[in-house]
Amino acid sequence: MIEMQGRKALVTGAAQGLGLAIARLFIERGAQVMLADIDAPGAAKAADELGPMARSIRCNVTSADDMAKAVEATVAAFGGMDTLVNNAGIEIVKPLFEHSEDEYQRIMDINVKGVFLGMRAALAPLVAAGNGAIVNMSSLAGTNGVPLFGMYAASKAAVIQLSRVAAAELRPTGIRVNAVCPGFVGTAMVDRLIPTVEAIVGVPFSALVAVKQQRLGTPAEVAEMVAFLASDAASFTTGAHFDLDGGLSAGLL
Amino acid sequence: MTSSTLLLKDKVAIVTGAARGLGEAVARAFAAEGAKVVVSDIDAEAAGRVAVMLPGAIAVGCDVRDPAQVEALVAAAVKEYGRLDIMVPNAGVARVAPLTSTSYEQWREVTSVNLDGVFLCIRYAAPQLVAGGGGSIITMASVTAKASCALIGSYAAAKAGVVSLTKTAAIELRAHNVRVNAILPGFIGTELVNANKRAFEEQLGIPDFDAVIAQRQGRYGTVEEVANLAVFLASGRSSFSNGSAYVLDGGVSSSLL
Repeated sequence: MIEMQGRKALVTGAAQGLGLAIARLFIERGAQVMLADIDAPGAAKAADELGPMARSIRCNVTSADDMAKAVEATVAAFGGMDTLVNNAGIEIVKPLFEHSEDEYQRIMDINVKGVFLGMRAALAPLVAAGNGAIVNMSSLAGTNGVPLFGMYAASKAAVIQLSRVAAAELRPTGIRVNAVCPGFVGTAMVDRLIPTVEAIVGVPFSALVAVKQQRLGTPAEVAEMVAFLASDAASFTTGAHFDLDGGLSAGLL
Repeated sequence: MTSSTLLLKDKVAIVTGAARGLGEAVARAFAAEGAKVVVSDIDAEAAGRVAVMLPGAIAVGCDVRDPAQVEALVAAAVKEYGRLDIMVPNAGVARVAPLTSTSYEQWREVTSVNLDGVFLCIRYAAPQLVAGGGGSIITMASVTAKASCALIGSYAAAKAGVVSLTKTAAIELRAHNVRVNAILPGFIGTELVNANKRAFEEQLGIPDFDAVIAQRQGRYGTVEEVANLAVFLASGRSSFSNGSAYVLDGGVSSSLL
């Protein structure tokens, strides 16, 4: 398998959870990684722990200016950039018609506009790299109706379509664009939504997960999928969205 | 290969249709990652020519349409290596013809190899994977399972069936730690595609099939690129993937124009 040796990556939302697991695995496989996060101290602390292959920068993905600076910092630190992982995202868990307009705006800004701004900002260095790779974090909610995740699901569906169109438009540049759609993964995000889901559904979350996908996925497992798609091993894969969900979406019941 | 550790060290794998093309590439990639490979094909002699080049590999002739032969194939793997960890039902055929001039015999030829064969491979391999504490089955479907094109109706229908079988097998076997996933390649530079190019051009009035491929998916994929994904799905790196259908097609199925 072709590993990540020499890859120069920017990962958003990298101070914790999935983003941190992705940064850690990329570095393990030989890449240099810029950890971008709105939580600057968190990103700095994580980069410190990951060692000399890691750097960090504060980045609000809803700001075109911040995104451009994060890309510039990556290029400056590593002498180029060939990999972008748009991972930063938020969840809002409640019945669809209890979402406020502000909540709608907030989730679309971070989860959708953030991905658009990230890809746009990274375009020039990724074209220059010749084998650029973009991996956008979507979700199983992006391909399925999930009660209580209505607005989140809409935002993640948008991520898949942005990835597909970018893949087709960027194909001549050698840049590949793919999305990853995890089921329930053991992260702080999932911990936060457990009480809400249990209160509304009336079933223990662990029982729900056990029936539908046997167990929670791990951030490291998601990171493996992202690393595969970012590497040259996936050189013919573009415009795709790769599920990983322990069988959650394969069955009806 | 640049990974520091072999991803499939000492795993035992069966690959059907492995005498040439995609199956051969998968067998080679598995062997390069340390697997012991049963190179299987209806053409046993050709399978033998592949197996001799791969350390620790054996060749077993098998017509995947025949339940007794598939059962014997699995038994041969277990007899040789004592276990089975990975099954790749890859054998497939295509017949290029409009549905209305496809004979029943042609339909059965395509569906019996491409769909019955996959069922039989899962049917007979799964108990051995379960007995060994788990494993990975990787079916070779096609993007034509999602959206077809004219002249390959029987092939596409069989491949859609393969995706469905993959999902059911994944759910039924997951409690036993057996993962089942499908690969959906786009147009790959294989004999199968080459042999049918002219038929597409003539029957569809396409002046240059290669030009259509260039426009729609950039280029032909390579068998090695498909094999990379098969290695990933066979390895522990994909431990949370189950029941999924993974498209690898240069983007041809994700864009309308």
